[in-house]
Amino acid sequence: MTRLPLVLLALAVAVPIIAQEGHPLKGSWIGVWDSNTQHGNDLLMVLNWDGKTVTGIINPGTDNIKPDRVTLDPVGWKVHIEADAKDKQGAAIRYVIDAAIQQLEMTNRVMVGTWKSQRGSGKFEMRRQ
Amino acid sequence: MNTKPSSRTYTAGALGLALFLWGAAAWAHHSISGKFDTKAAKVDLSGVITSVDWRNPHAHIFMNVTNRGETLNWAVELESPSLLEMDGWNRDTLRPGETIVVKGPRARDGSRQVWGEEVRYASNQLPVFAPKVKLSHTPAVPRPTPTWPDGHPALGALPGTADGFWTDPSKTALVEDGVNVAMDPYGVLENLADAAKVAPMQPWALELYRYRQSRQLRDDPAYVNCKPPGGVRQYQSRLGIQFIEDRERKRIFVMMGSGNHNYRIIYLDGRKQVGLVGGDDDNPLYFGRSAGRWEGKTLVVDLVDFNEDFWFTQGGLPHTDKLHLIERFTRTDFDTLRYEVQVDDPGAYTRNWSASWTLKWNGGAALPSYFCQNNRP
Repeated sequence: MTRLPLVLLALAVAVPIIAQEGHPLKGSWIGVWDSNTQHGNDLLMVLNWDGKTVTGIINPGTDNIKPDRVTLDPVGWKVHIEADAKDKQGAAIRYVIDAAIQQLEMTNRVMVGTWKSQRGSGKFEMRRQ
Repeated sequence: MNTKPSSRTYTAGALGLALFLWGAAAWAHHSISGKFDTKAAKVDLSGVITSVDWRNPHAHIFMNVTNRGETLNWAVELESPSLLEMDGWNRDTLRPGETIVVKGPRARDGSRQVWGEEVRYASNQLPVFAPKVKLSHTPAVPRPTPTWPDGHPALGALPGTADGFWTDPSKTALVEDGVNVAMDPYGVLENLADAAKVAPMQPWALELYRYRQSRQLRDDPAYVNCKPPGGVRQYQSRLGIQFIEDRERKRIFVMMGSGNHNYRIIYLDGRKQVGLVGGDDDNPLYFGRSAGRWEGKTLVVDLVDFNEDFWFTQGGLPHTDKLHLIERFTRTDFDTLRYEVQVDDPGAYTRNWSASWTLKWNGGAALPSYFCQNNRP
């Protein structure tokens, strides 16, 4: 976990924004899930679209949380993400994220919403890199 | 309106030009319908030219228009110099001091900019600029398709004959064959409710297409970021394409008038559609990887490995990196090329679908040189 901010910083500096005109969720997203005491505020999510489902990973290399449900409702561009993880004590928790994509036309579009789990809740915001 | 410009009007013109260039970054390069309200009532202007800016991606005329004693400088935006030259205009056709009449849609932001659909000399009302001039050399009776000694049709000019290129596409946006929807030449739907008819899109793709359409294609990366005319776009522009057939090495170069001197290669030597190890093996492309073969008189090209960094057609239909195109080129007579494409993209569409159109031979003409510049309007 302690390396994650450095990883995020390195990515933010080193990775140019890659144009992405395909599925709006596809790509690398960097942001925060505010007040998350279990997995830190900083968040990196990599999402992919295989034509039928969105798959991905949260905080690759550190937390390696794999969402088991990612949906996109194009009416309002609403995003719903669910993922199983473990808290600091090793107990199972389930994250539920509800957000909406804004600035859809931008390569560095944003996702804004909320997250919650058994250990808390807060603001969720990510920007595509 | 004025016929003789004074030093005061030139000063106004210079100021207008300066303000225009200063504000250019806000517009940068753009789709026509994204910048100009092509569906609203058109503006009629009459005035005196203060300068002509003959540069890519769009030429501009600046003119002083006097109305009720007030003189204001307007920018008249035109097609690229390459297209204007195809229509018989050059940088010296109009000069400062001449009086012209302009008609066209005004800029959406209300600024003094107009798209020059019609430009006429005020003195005799004759058109200076007449877009979409039909090719006059297309004969009434079709000429036979030129062929190579082995019987394959020549897609370009045979050695020793006049050069030329393919232009005037009969369709300028991608729509499934059999579907009838009204669009402007840039692919903007007249009725947004027709969006679902255009192609069998997945829900996300349909909503994204609607979104792009609702913004009049102003986000089109072909203009905003000067992205190459990949996918089928290269066949949708009047700037045209040219085939260079290297028969000895079994490859065909497709040169594009609409890109920044972009080209793609169709390989007919049976090679696999993969990249070079240690080179571009993991780098999907704007033009995909082409494998061609002849089926009778038709060149069939299989295309895979597209990236998602561009719009593969005018009009904003989405695609994914699963896009697989099968193109069929048939030179039905000397002056006609039929282009058919099957779109197979399970990432964005619910089934395979097809579209087709024709292009016309512009013999004796050189392929235009168009350069996109994303820092200029």
